[in-house]
Amino acid sequence: MRFFQQLIFILIVSTVLSLWLPWWSIAIAGFLGGAIFHSGKNFLAGFLAIIILWGSMIGWTEWHAASDLTTRVAQIFSLNKPLLIVVTLLIGGIGSGLAALTGSYIRPKKKKNLYY
Amino acid sequence: MRIVPFFISLVFTAGFFYMLSISHEIDGNRIPPLGKFLDPFHGFWQNIESNNTQPKQEEKLLGAVKDEVIIYHDSLLIPHLFAENDADLYLAQGYVTAMHRLWQMEFQTHAAAGRISEITGAGKNDAVLNYDRGQRRLGMVYAAEKALEGMLSSPASKEAVEQYTKGVNAYIETLSYKDFPFEYKLLDYAPESWTTLKCALLLRSMAQTLNMGDKDIEMTNTLRLFGKEAVDLLFPDREKVGEPIVSKPNQWNFPAISLDGKPLALPEELIQLQQKIPGSDPNTGSNNWAVHGSKTSTGSPMLSSDPHLNLSLPSIWFAIQLKTKNMNVMGASLPGAPHVIIGFTDSVAWAVTNAQRDLVDWYQIKFKDDKKDSYQLDGSWINSKKVIEKFTVRGRETYIDTVIYTHWGPVVYDESYQAEDNLKHYAFRWIAHDVSNESQTFYELNRAKNYQDYMQALNYYSGPAQNFAFASVQGDVAMRVQGKFPIRRKNEGKFVLDGSQTSNGWQAFIPNEQNVMEKNPLRGFVSSANQYPADSTYPYYIHARSFEAYRNRRINEVLGKSNQVKVEDLMQLHSDNYNMKAAESLPYFLSTIGTISALNKAEKKAFDKLSSWDFYYDVDSEGASYYEAWWDALMPLLWDEFDVEKTSLTYPTSYQTIYLLKKYPELKWFDFQSTPEKENAQVILLKAFRESVLQIENWKKDKGFEKVRWADYKDSYIGHLLRVSALNIKVQHGGNHDIVNAHSKTHGPSWRMVSSLEKNGIKTWATYPGGQSGNPGSRYYDRFLSHWTSGRYFELDFMQVIPEQPQQLTIILKPE
Repeated sequence: MRFFQQLIFILIVSTVLSLWLPWWSIAIAGFLGGAIFHSGKNFLAGFLAIIILWGSMIGWTEWHAASDLTTRVAQIFSLNKPLLIVVTLLIGGIGSGLAALTGSYIRPKKKKNLYY
Repeated sequence: MRIVPFFISLVFTAGFFYMLSISHEIDGNRIPPLGKFLDPFHGFWQNIESNNTQPKQEEKLLGAVKDEVIIYHDSLLIPHLFAENDADLYLAQGYVTAMHRLWQMEFQTHAAAGRISEITGAGKNDAVLNYDRGQRRLGMVYAAEKALEGMLSSPASKEAVEQYTKGVNAYIETLSYKDFPFEYKLLDYAPESWTTLKCALLLRSMAQTLNMGDKDIEMTNTLRLFGKEAVDLLFPDREKVGEPIVSKPNQWNFPAISLDGKPLALPEELIQLQQKIPGSDPNTGSNNWAVHGSKTSTGSPMLSSDPHLNLSLPSIWFAIQLKTKNMNVMGASLPGAPHVIIGFTDSVAWAVTNAQRDLVDWYQIKFKDDKKDSYQLDGSWINSKKVIEKFTVRGRETYIDTVIYTHWGPVVYDESYQAEDNLKHYAFRWIAHDVSNESQTFYELNRAKNYQDYMQALNYYSGPAQNFAFASVQGDVAMRVQGKFPIRRKNEGKFVLDGSQTSNGWQAFIPNEQNVMEKNPLRGFVSSANQYPADSTYPYYIHARSFEAYRNRRINEVLGKSNQVKVEDLMQLHSDNYNMKAAESLPYFLSTIGTISALNKAEKKAFDKLSSWDFYYDVDSEGASYYEAWWDALMPLLWDEFDVEKTSLTYPTSYQTIYLLKKYPELKWFDFQSTPEKENAQVILLKAFRESVLQIENWKKDKGFEKVRWADYKDSYIGHLLRVSALNIKVQHGGNHDIVNAHSKTHGPSWRMVSSLEKNGIKTWATYPGGQSGNPGSRYYDRFLSHWTSGRYFELDFMQVIPEQPQQLTIILKPE
């Protein structure tokens, strides 16, 4: 449950920040998500949130694209279009995941032995 | 807080984001900052335009406009500008041109000014830096400063260039990274402020494209190696081919200015240059013509424009309409400069081709010593002017170059640049280094109402010299070869010159009214295609790298035949694929090898294909491929004498080659140097034929094709300015150089336009190989291309009033 809250939080904050800040705004969103929610799978939450967000944005852009610039860009990098999209998603996902992980270290580890 | 894991993770995260936020140079290629570039919210995905755009209207508050300006885009994305006054109009022209073509405008002016290494770095083996140095050493910025001085000298052209600049900057100010044109993101840099000097750079860069085809150094080397006789035989000033632009023997009724007939001394020690700055592509040429009403189906004049240039994306031209109370003009503009350059008004239309004339000379400089602080001129030592050129090279320290300016102009080649230590220094004299105001010409042409206005407008025009075709609704057609032409003594300008005497320089210029021109000639049309300008009785010595020999005669033949010329005929003529060069040479070629029976199977097949070929370069033609391959194999074999190591030389022209082959088949030049036997034209033709057939057979095997279709063999493409192959667009199209449809592999018709100048208004059709948008993510990027390849046209919507409903995007610029 905490994991899903964290994922949704990162997703929403990233979307909002993207409107005003450059690409590294996903780091802020991930960091905050990691710090505030602190689930057991911080990296995965950040990773998936950006995959979902960027994936939807790319999907929407491609769906309405008036020209196939993506294929030309892929060729510049000696890739094909699906691979270029995978590379893009990995960059966003790993970036956000790392930021979430970093954020999570701000809080102390939940220590089960506290109750002893 | 867990300090240690936190900091380890933080370092990793920060490093990850940092590395993907900066660009890297790998093996001479610049890799964009991947995170920034691929982010779908800000990166290149944002340059992909949506396909469900509804027509819309936007308002924009701008402090710089005095009154409201309407920028109405039609369905082809051609902007129609409606303004109350000139100042607002030119501001809006700058604004809307930047909106569609900003990256191209800046890149082309950076290229002109020798600043590309700022963007890309020095390149492999410093190729980019060397290109930049070449531009500075030719004095391109100096030339642009002179052009700007001219532009600012008249209130009208001053206002236009200053307002245009303001408009470009007003647009740049609205941009953030997300909105940057695609190429800025790819190369990871940002647009800088536009300046009036950039407008001037753009015009001078066009002059460079059209003027730099001189072969003074090659001719000097030819003279040194082979003697004057060879120069006269192989490189005559005037080839024996008729039909100059204007032929009116003995009717040049003006007192021509003559200079002292003192023959010019050639420098005693002649030079050897290994490598020159590449000159204009010899394929750069153009066609234009205007047909008198007496020869057209409508009874009104018709005009055609067909300038040929290196075809590139974003396109060279940007179509636009400019309207105020006092002006209504439409046509092709150059992104980066105000006004319409080729087009039509309510009453007249005009079109240009390059005049070819030699406006470039090289003068040998004798420096006093190695310090080069002074040089000899008219018997005394004159101080050199040393200009320090700084090159900001991306990823490297600033590079400093020193260019010496003399009485003649800059010294381009010296020890530090493309020459060996023992080479002499030559200064570069170029007409574009003089003050001139071509902008005034376009300002006035854009407002021209009749023949007198056209003549008056051209009086300001200095260079690059052009053949201006003209037609008016009053029924006049005219042609004028306009430029500032130095009066030359015979052979002057053909070779390099001695720079120690000012008397060797340009002493006077042909007065404007003595330039080659004609109005309403008897034959009922005017035309030009870069051929020799006048008949032999024109009283001035004329020289150029080469004059065109084939397209011009084909155009005249087609126009001469009909007395009921229709608009469609002129469109068809643009796409005419008939090669007169092939028609005049192939039957002879075939007859010389026809007697030889020992042809192999492939050779026999090629021979038959060529024998039955109709000389048309259509997309599917195989004869065209065989002929071109034959020709390309023939030239280096025939002129093997001209492949001298470390020496700049050039082959004779196609026309002169064919002329000599037919007339003197036993000429000593046709003997192949590396064999003991004596060869003649027949032997060389056969050898070239066999080589070319083999070459085509290999090509077929390579590609897996059964046939050698011309379009496949030519393999033409429209190249992106960055020369990134993934951004090029391949095209299947007929034609070639020497043909009216002058589309070779990379060069060709850049703006095809036909105007019918009817009493009740001008109708115009146009197309070009690209589109209005410079954004590769826009559907308008190559919108016109398929029309262009198939010879179809768009009728231009020449608006008199602003339509009520927006068709595409309408922008209203409002004063704040």
